[in-house]
Amino acid sequence: MNTAQDIEIRPRHGLLNLDYSGVWRYRELMWTLAMRDVRLRYKQAALGIAWAVIQPAFAVLIFTLIFGRFAKIPTGGTPYPLFAFAAILPWTYFSEALRRSATSLVTDGELVRKVYFPRLVMPLSGVISPAVDFLFAFLVFLCMLVWYHMGLSWKVVTLPLFLGYALLAALSIGLWLAPLNVRFRDVTHTMPFLIQVWMYASPIVYSLDIVPEQWRTLFSLNPMVGVIEGFRWALLDKPSPDWHVIGVGSAVMVAMLLGGLAYFRRAESTLADVI
Amino acid sequence: MSTRIAIKAEGLGKRYRVGANAGRHNSLRDVIVEKAAALFRRGPDPNTVFWALRDVSFEIARGENVGVIGLNGAGKSTLLKLLSRITEPTAGRARIGGRVGALLEVGTGFSGELTGRENTFLYGSILGMSRAEIARKYDAIVEFAGIEKFMDTPVKRYSSGMYVRLAFSVAAHLEPDVLLLDEVLAVGDLAFQHKCLDFARRLQEREATVLFVSHSMHSIKSMCPRVIYMRKGQLTYDGPTDEGIRLYEQDSRLSTLALAEGSSKDWPVVVNSVGITGADGAEKTIFEHGERLRLRLSYETREPLVDPNFIVAFIRSDGVACCNFSTEVDGTSPGRIDGHGVLELVTPPLRLVSDMYQVHVLVRGKGFDQVLSSQVAGTFHVRHALFDRHFGVFHEPGKFTWNPDASDSVIQLPAARPASGG
Repeated sequence: MNTAQDIEIRPRHGLLNLDYSGVWRYRELMWTLAMRDVRLRYKQAALGIAWAVIQPAFAVLIFTLIFGRFAKIPTGGTPYPLFAFAAILPWTYFSEALRRSATSLVTDGELVRKVYFPRLVMPLSGVISPAVDFLFAFLVFLCMLVWYHMGLSWKVVTLPLFLGYALLAALSIGLWLAPLNVRFRDVTHTMPFLIQVWMYASPIVYSLDIVPEQWRTLFSLNPMVGVIEGFRWALLDKPSPDWHVIGVGSAVMVAMLLGGLAYFRRAESTLADVI
Repeated sequence: MSTRIAIKAEGLGKRYRVGANAGRHNSLRDVIVEKAAALFRRGPDPNTVFWALRDVSFEIARGENVGVIGLNGAGKSTLLKLLSRITEPTAGRARIGGRVGALLEVGTGFSGELTGRENTFLYGSILGMSRAEIARKYDAIVEFAGIEKFMDTPVKRYSSGMYVRLAFSVAAHLEPDVLLLDEVLAVGDLAFQHKCLDFARRLQEREATVLFVSHSMHSIKSMCPRVIYMRKGQLTYDGPTDEGIRLYEQDSRLSTLALAEGSSKDWPVVVNSVGITGADGAEKTIFEHGERLRLRLSYETREPLVDPNFIVAFIRSDGVACCNFSTEVDGTSPGRIDGHGVLELVTPPLRLVSDMYQVHVLVRGKGFDQVLSSQVAGTFHVRHALFDRHFGVFHEPGKFTWNPDASDSVIQLPAARPASGG
């Protein structure tokens, strides 16, 4: 009846020895926790799931007014609302995924203290749950395309790749911040600030074209540049993203991800003792 | 691993650093100061290292029920946390054969906003069940909890009893091969506790192994033929329950007497030792309901006292003072005492309910005026299959008369008068 499997308990060694098979065994928990977050977020709100749409829609409205109308930021011929929305879609997802994974261990501190499961499940479920909001916002984006009489090309099928890129980027930072947050609650307070700075460091309200050449290399360190360029390319037929930017961004992301896994693993063994 | 062995621990140890990690929420500033200080030290400061568990080895066979006992801070919970993999050991290793269920607390992870049904799936997955498994057992879980009507109500509207019943019911259907329990069976009302006992029995039939941490020697005795006794992070005894409980009682008595001594410097009379025995004089700490208890205390006065009032009080584990025996009230007077002496008390048959009781010894002046001494002298247990805390404080049989035909004997209660309107 039960899949009897011996459990070995001992001090673990090795940088990346994170019990990945355990994470796989607990994949349903990861899913359940993510769905719990989605349910909890909308259960008591009168407008319910509509919030998943209202938030990005308002951002689009404000950005259009300020950066489209007043500042007249060039978009290369695309209507500004679509131009902004195509970037706000992945950005809203990314910032929410980052925030949730970074605070996951502290928010569910009780679980860390009293129940065993691979802790990696928690930041992972944190980057999964905002994907539900993304889907709803994406539907609104499709409606807007129809409104502007624009179609989608075959490139839209590459969208999951860029979304996955955003997921890994959020996770790569979340893995560092989540255990750090257990030791220093300062992280929670720093999050809104970090996300705001990061937003202006990403080409959301503007396009990468207006960034001076000598700054481009610095920009390419930010994985979200590649994600956003990719979204605009896949959804709005903008020029294809600079492969150099994507290459540098992914390299940074992979380095952060591996470092994050090692750090998370090191912190994991004592989480229950310090939380 | 041999299929006969369920848990095998070899030299398990857990070291904590007090100081640097002692505060639950460090501020960044504290750590920077600490790290800066550490630059000028070599190696870890030995004063900040504390072994909560050290060199613990044991083997538990499949189907065995083993109790873990010890005073507070002896390392019982740390051991459970290591075996349930909540935290990693610093040294040693352990192997567990089969599926582990660990209940350090019932209902961890329940979410108030979610319904009973949603929480059942959430809590089930937290405990390690698959969704398919929970779906299969769902009806049985709901029936066991006895709250069919409320499964679509958010659990924040549940009474605490319903909450615990649902949580425990989910946990009970985990069907583990090895169950680690931390004092969680003491929940719910009488009827639910019987269900829990049934659950424990069912586990035994399935040859499950149970490791049970408790302060209730009564539960330990009724569930476990073998105990592991922990003292200061080390395993000091592993064997039959009676002997283990005796060691535990001995230590807890010593520690409480020692505790009292520290503050008793100025008292004119001090109780040095207390012996709790059965009526026959044989040392024991577990009494059947209705047995007599013999208490022998030796005291020492620092100044001559005239007619001091020695009081022995039994305090139940939940703090209820159940009874007092007093030399003055019970009609004996020692007259003038000076120096060393022994006082013996034989109680009437104890009709107290099944629980743990602390013995407090008080000495007052004549007429209960001032307190000359106050000490905790030890603990004992009373055992009864039915009478427990929910039943009352004590039980003496009442006298009923059965007379079904005499309708006129019904007492007419005066009708309540309507409140006058002022």
